[in-house]
Amino acid sequence: MVGSARVSDKSTAPKAPAASTPIVRLRDVTKSYGTGAARTQVLRGVSFDVEAGEFVALVGQSGSGKSTLLNIIGGLDQPDAGEVEVFGVDTLRCSDGRRAALRNASIGFVFQAFNLLDHLTVLANVVLPASFSRDAKDVEARGREALRRVGLSDFAVRRPGELSGGQKQRVAIARALFNSPTLLLCDEPTGNLDSETGKEVIDFFRELNAKDGVTLLIVTHERRVSSVAKRVIAMRDGMLAETTDEALAAAHGSGPA
Amino acid sequence: MMPAGNLTRMVVANTLRSRRHFVLSAFGIVIGIATFVVFLASTEQVGTVLEKIFPVEQVQVVAPRASLLGKDISKKLDDAIVQKIRARPEVDRADATAVVPRMSLSFPAFGRGDFEGNDLKFEVGGFADGINPDYVSDDERTRELFKDWDGKKDDPKRVACTPPPSDPQNEVIQSPPAPKGSHSKPDVYYNPCPQPDRYYCDDDRTCHHRVPIVMSPTMIELYNGQFAKSHGLPIAELDFVKFITMRGGLSAMRFSIGLGLTTVAGSNASIARNKTRRVEGVLVGISSKAMPIGMTMPIQYIQRWNREFLGEDAATAYSSIIVRLKDRNQIAVFSQWLQDDLDLRLEDSLGEKFATALFVIRLVLVLISLVIITISSINIAHNFFMQVTERRRELGLLRAVGAAQIDVLLVVLGEAALIGLIGGLIGVALGLGIARGVDWGSGYYLPRFPYKPDSWFHFRWWIVLGGLICSTGFSVLGGYLPARRASTMEPAQALTQN
Repeated sequence: MVGSARVSDKSTAPKAPAASTPIVRLRDVTKSYGTGAARTQVLRGVSFDVEAGEFVALVGQSGSGKSTLLNIIGGLDQPDAGEVEVFGVDTLRCSDGRRAALRNASIGFVFQAFNLLDHLTVLANVVLPASFSRDAKDVEARGREALRRVGLSDFAVRRPGELSGGQKQRVAIARALFNSPTLLLCDEPTGNLDSETGKEVIDFFRELNAKDGVTLLIVTHERRVSSVAKRVIAMRDGMLAETTDEALAAAHGSGPA
Repeated sequence: MMPAGNLTRMVVANTLRSRRHFVLSAFGIVIGIATFVVFLASTEQVGTVLEKIFPVEQVQVVAPRASLLGKDISKKLDDAIVQKIRARPEVDRADATAVVPRMSLSFPAFGRGDFEGNDLKFEVGGFADGINPDYVSDDERTRELFKDWDGKKDDPKRVACTPPPSDPQNEVIQSPPAPKGSHSKPDVYYNPCPQPDRYYCDDDRTCHHRVPIVMSPTMIELYNGQFAKSHGLPIAELDFVKFITMRGGLSAMRFSIGLGLTTVAGSNASIARNKTRRVEGVLVGISSKAMPIGMTMPIQYIQRWNREFLGEDAATAYSSIIVRLKDRNQIAVFSQWLQDDLDLRLEDSLGEKFATALFVIRLVLVLISLVIITISSINIAHNFFMQVTERRRELGLLRAVGAAQIDVLLVVLGEAALIGLIGGLIGVALGLGIARGVDWGSGYYLPRFPYKPDSWFHFRWWIVLGGLICSTGFSVLGGYLPARRASTMEPAQALTQN
């Protein structure tokens, strides 16, 4: 069972922008991969805003560009053109160091494949962001607190290889929450989990959003995830699509309800 | 950029994580650095030994040999030439011993003395050199004793002595008087002088201080390598002073010199044979300034004796002039001036030829070790490229949790540097081990020979430091391209790697 989703205060955490300022602002974002005949246009002029405290589900069929969009928002990928502002920072034009600092202090990532380092203990995985932060205060205590919140207090010295899929994803969430981010970017967080564990994770995210005001942007195929989101953004062929019930059904495809 | 402490911890943890990667990467560096330090240390030591044999910081000016109808008409090296050389800009004028003339004993002389119970006889003519005493200042004792004791005409210490009984064999034997009742050869030596460091001189019937003599370390090496073996005499320890002290001090090394006497047929017939007389000498020290073969004494003695036996010309003609230049690189300029202006030349320096050969050998050896290190650097690059590919996902994750490109670059470069440093340390240790093994083998299997060193290696601090810098530097060089690739790859793509 996932524990409490309360986020502790942290001095280095980014200041949440005023309610009227969007946390994420995208304008005409385009992105393509490959060259020549093999060139594939993944994003075709995507524009939308995400306000602070929102719980947004980004849905669409495979290849619709939603993961690419998430990576661009998180600064893990760069668009070909357009404007990307995250916490007011133009991530397209700012330095690599500035983007890295933004990811470290303000953005948490949760991946479908967990991306835990097998040679590290669970606790060491959770405190990994501290390696790139100047804030060296109470690193271990903060790591243990993050583990407590996801209900894995007793697993601190275990290795990821000793954990189940659900436990691994909870470790990944603890790592994402370690620096108390304002924005949590999740790419198919329940994709590798059974329905029961997936439900626990979704409940945890909902609680995190409701109680702590963490802004959530979740890429998902699953209707049960999008159904708890406050807003659903559908994508098709690299563009935003209508969010009618039919369109959403098409976007979710054969994903679990 | 990530804090240095975190960077160090991450680099150490990553390096120690994969032993296979570490061994594969460090192996070449270890071998390369071991050869690097061993080659440098050995050539350094050989250089040190060579400098002992042939002092390379000084040159020797000589007059080219010339003869006409069997008569020596070579240019005379005199005080005027000494002054001209001293005035040269290549010579340090502030150094009083930068220009030192040498004078050879130019007439026959015959030496005889006792050493460890052996009656030694040897030619002195041609093997005795005179030099400015100020030039020889190797130690306190030598400085005190190596001077012209007969310089004062009316030295009150030169007391008159009762003449000794006449020598029935017309020879001078240094052996102490035989004890009473002994059946040994009747002693012919009598020293009537009150001070034991003086001897009776037949010439003026007074007591003179023995002529102070220094010998070069080469003589000790020759003694150990050849003479001691063939005559069953003890080997002189390297600490020669200790050796001498154990045998009653340097004053025990006394011998007489029969000026004008010789055992060699066809000797200079023009000398005044009726003047033949004996003097006594004493070995006062070992000096690198002494002539390599033979004995060296204060130049005033040689000048007086040459004047006495051969005339004024012989007393003012030097056999060579030792010159210490400010800089070895000025040898060429100085040599040209000697030829052009004075019609003189520098004596062929075997030491310089050896030094050049050694330099070339050292260069070749260092190049060989650098080639090994370069190959190991390429090996490191290859291993790190593989590592970076294998760790794409991990590196992508680091970027996702806040690592900048420079952080990833530093992490990978740090791992390369650490492997290089540890490889270098192991390489230096291996080099030291090889050196010890070679020294042990040399001591055990190789016979003693002149100038055989206790160790064939001199691990100077800069060799060790150079080895470590080299290993770390080449390793970082090898790791640079993989590190750059790691830092510039798109984190999003790296994270989706299977």
